[in-house]
Amino acid sequence: MFKFQDFDGKLLALRAEMTAPVARIVTTRMQSAPEPIRLFYVNNVFRYNQSYLNREREFCQAGVELVGCNTSEADGEILALLISSLKQVGLKEVRIDLGHASLLKDLLDTAEIDKQQKVAIQALLACRDSVGLKKLMEQNSFPSNLREAFIELSCCRTLNELSSVSLSGSKYDKANKQLESLAELQETLNDYKVEDMVFFDFSLTKKIEYYTGMVFEASVPNLGLPLGSGGRYDKFIEKFGKLDLPATGFALEIGKLLQALTAQGFEIPKNTRTKVIVASKFRNTAVEAVKTLREAGVIASLEVTRRSLEKTIEYGKIMETDYVVSVDSSLEAPVTVYDIKASTSKKVTFKTFLRDLGGQP
Amino acid sequence: MKKKIRIAIANKGRIKQPTMDALARAGITILEEERTYVSKTSDPRYEAIFARANDIPVYVHYGAVDLGITGHDLILEREANVLELLDLEFGKATLVVAVPESSPINRVNDVPALTRVATEFPNITRKYFEKQGKQVEVLEVSGTAELAPKLGLAQIIVDITSSGETLRKNKLRVIGTILDTTSRLACNKIAYRTFEKEISELQSKLRGEA
Repeated sequence: MFKFQDFDGKLLALRAEMTAPVARIVTTRMQSAPEPIRLFYVNNVFRYNQSYLNREREFCQAGVELVGCNTSEADGEILALLISSLKQVGLKEVRIDLGHASLLKDLLDTAEIDKQQKVAIQALLACRDSVGLKKLMEQNSFPSNLREAFIELSCCRTLNELSSVSLSGSKYDKANKQLESLAELQETLNDYKVEDMVFFDFSLTKKIEYYTGMVFEASVPNLGLPLGSGGRYDKFIEKFGKLDLPATGFALEIGKLLQALTAQGFEIPKNTRTKVIVASKFRNTAVEAVKTLREAGVIASLEVTRRSLEKTIEYGKIMETDYVVSVDSSLEAPVTVYDIKASTSKKVTFKTFLRDLGGQP
Repeated sequence: MKKKIRIAIANKGRIKQPTMDALARAGITILEEERTYVSKTSDPRYEAIFARANDIPVYVHYGAVDLGITGHDLILEREANVLELLDLEFGKATLVVAVPESSPINRVNDVPALTRVATEFPNITRKYFEKQGKQVEVLEVSGTAELAPKLGLAQIIVDITSSGETLRKNKLRVIGTILDTTSRLACNKIAYRTFEKEISELQSKLRGEA
């Protein structure tokens, strides 16, 4: 995070993400708003990013938050919205990889091992190294049912497969509840018909610590970095004052979406609107012509320099303008239209010119 | 057409040959190595890219390639967020702190404040000395760190050594070990999701299973 001092010595920071600002707004300015609250943002955030490719520090994020509800319907809505947003911008082969913020942590806590071994187990899980995982769990004398659960969970790729995993014993109550919530989420995703695009990843955990439920990342095969991420954070907003306000949401990085679209061969559609420059020594007529053209949906500009018509046409060529129009003292009089692409000119009435462009006179 | 899996291989140095041998044992023989940007392999699902070993972690991090074989030390140095799928056990080396034989410094603990350290591994070096509670000045060099003390550029160096030969030749003495390293199969996190089946097959072949 970028931090610096205000003139009076107070510590200031640039926002590194939008969830905290949203939490602040919800607790200070929306206290009487009925729940659930649905919010969105498109905003710039600032981060120091270890990057050897570019030195960007400012990123544009688009995100949503659903505040005041902790049902699987709320989580399902967020995931379905994420998928449809990515499809809407034109991306193909979108996938979401989803894990649970505290399932792995809670299970590791029951095993009573030190931090270093926890890190080692997470690394083995991320690589799906079941051989290494089994060995490490044996060395640390994990109970056999926990060992089996770890292996099973690391093999599950869909939320459906989770139904076969359960642990008996009261110390696993928390974990079992989390597994149940994921199963419920799967049912919601079925209703949205997006279950094929959501995959389970037991090893997926986020660096940000405020998540309490599902955590997820969105990606496409053409880009090696996630397009965005999100999750459920039920205990975060209360830090800003208002108690007990569960929430769920996601944020997408606009820059990554553009990279992914480019990688998928998407071409930004060219502007098809006609461009016209109006030139005349009769300024009042020219101004009127520009106004009429703009009202008809044409991109029109006035020749504001006093250069020769040849120079204007030359400029129009470079600026990929379609026509340069020279008007007389009145719009009733015929105008000279230079078609820059065809390198031709003709004299027509302004009305005819406008009609030919497809605009309404 | 389905996207091919790209694997980055060191274009020179001591891990190049063992890398090619390991891949060949796993059924991936490089077919055309000379002066090509992307080399075909005997397995039509894979293509190979030759790159500098210390750039490979970054390529993998950004997904410019799906897989890469490079040193654990370089992955740490470039702070690449990649999956280290496998320890290939070749390219064994140690990152050490060394001083000229005549130096009065005998332990890392004796390093005086503001000592200049020459290294090709500025990130690891900075973190290591910070952890030791030592304030040092890191001088980044892009090779032959062992010359720095002779030239009066630095009092100590942090460098990679496998046999200790270069250090001995340059009359340098090891006073501390930072880490042991070997070559790793590094994988981009998203590529692992996309090609899980193929990559786990390669993983077990490289392990010598199947």
